[in-house]
Amino acid sequence: MSESPTNPSAPFARSSDDVPQTDNSTTAARRDEQLIAEVRAKDQKAMCEIFDRYSTMVYSVALRVLKDPPQAEDVMQEIFLQVWNTPDRFAHGRGSLGAWLAVVARNRAIDLLRQRKPTESCDEVVLPARTNLASDVERNTIMDKVRVVLKNLPQEQQRSVELAFFEGLTHSEIAARTGDPLGTVKTRIRSALASLRKGIEA
Amino acid sequence: MTAPRHISPEDLALHAMQALSPEESAAVRSHLAECTQCRDELASITGDLALVALTAEQEPLPAGARDRFIARLPVAVVSAAKSESSQVVSIATKRPNSASVWIPWLAVAALLVLSASLGFKVQRLQANLQSASEASAQQIAATARARQVLDVLSAPAAQHVLLTAAKTAPQPSGRAVYLADKGSLIFQGNNLAQLPEGKTYELWVIPANGSAPIPAGLFRPDATGNASVVLPSLPLGVPAKAFGVTIENAGGSTTPTAPIILAGAPPASGE
Repeated sequence: MSESPTNPSAPFARSSDDVPQTDNSTTAARRDEQLIAEVRAKDQKAMCEIFDRYSTMVYSVALRVLKDPPQAEDVMQEIFLQVWNTPDRFAHGRGSLGAWLAVVARNRAIDLLRQRKPTESCDEVVLPARTNLASDVERNTIMDKVRVVLKNLPQEQQRSVELAFFEGLTHSEIAARTGDPLGTVKTRIRSALASLRKGIEA
Repeated sequence: MTAPRHISPEDLALHAMQALSPEESAAVRSHLAECTQCRDELASITGDLALVALTAEQEPLPAGARDRFIARLPVAVVSAAKSESSQVVSIATKRPNSASVWIPWLAVAALLVLSASLGFKVQRLQANLQSASEASAQQIAATARARQVLDVLSAPAAQHVLLTAAKTAPQPSGRAVYLADKGSLIFQGNNLAQLPEGKTYELWVIPANGSAPIPAGLFRPDATGNASVVLPSLPLGVPAKAFGVTIENAGGSTTPTAPIILAGAPPASGE
């Protein structure tokens, strides 16, 4: 692991407010917060609405990692049960609920893939609010865009980020598999993520 | 002072993907706990990872997944049950209030129905009473008429006259029973000839005082030649010198038209 003395990356200074949001997404975001508030009050209907909105996405992410439908469903069920039991774990300010669920789904699936206890607390997953996925239209639009961006990435970047994200390999494991230096793997992953961000904001 | 040493974006990305060793992750966590700047960067990278997650092809949920999830909400079920229970209690507690609101209206409605029913009964009783009154009046009238007939027939002062045809047999005949004081007359005819269409028999009272004959009723015989005139409208107190029957046009006449078919006069002594 390396430390940079100043870490002057431009994204550090970027606020989530920099990303324009449509009125629809703002409305949908408020709706997510409202649903969470209702879930906090044990409103089963609100929980079902969250489930209906994001379950396919969560399941698809878990399935992509695990490649096993029953296990993927187990992950999905546990995540939504967690939302039900402890909705405060996703508090306002952690970003969009959809993005948070997508990352948590990936992390939970990787934990299961590695047959290890969850090493990451959901409390650590914090996202900027720029990726609002509450609206079906906006979610599909972002999905289409990000797939195009990922597909257009250099093959090495694409491969590195997929190995890290969907297969849960460490940078050392990726380096060993690809034969590339460790630093190169890190750079490729970092570059791929930056390209995705830039592609979405374009 | 030395510049703070931040976590590189590369390592933050690996940390976000849990791709660091436990020791490395512990060091990152330690730094993040004190560095807002790195926490913000980690949030941005995590947002980027969410984008990567969205590249996964969307697969439909396994059949029944939603139901299985809902079934795993015991708290929700209990909560919902409690909620429903409380709602039931709430509704139950509200029912008296609701009933108390409705009772007066129900009472009014019941009274209206009762009133309408009573009104209908009263109306029906009035109709029945009116019908009974009319029937009673008819019976009274019928009784009075019968008594009048009986009085005519049984009155000692009644004149009994047999009217016969003078020439042919069987002879047409008629019997008149007349009570002058009451203007009551009963006539019975026998063996009367049938009349052509448009013709009628007419009975006449010939006053004793010589005044013009008084029409005493129209009649046509039945198939056997019998006919009757019962209590025609006659003036009171007109003693009769004679009675006669003529054939007149339908609708009758004010004066008798010859020939006189039947004629009779009471005996001078009143027989």
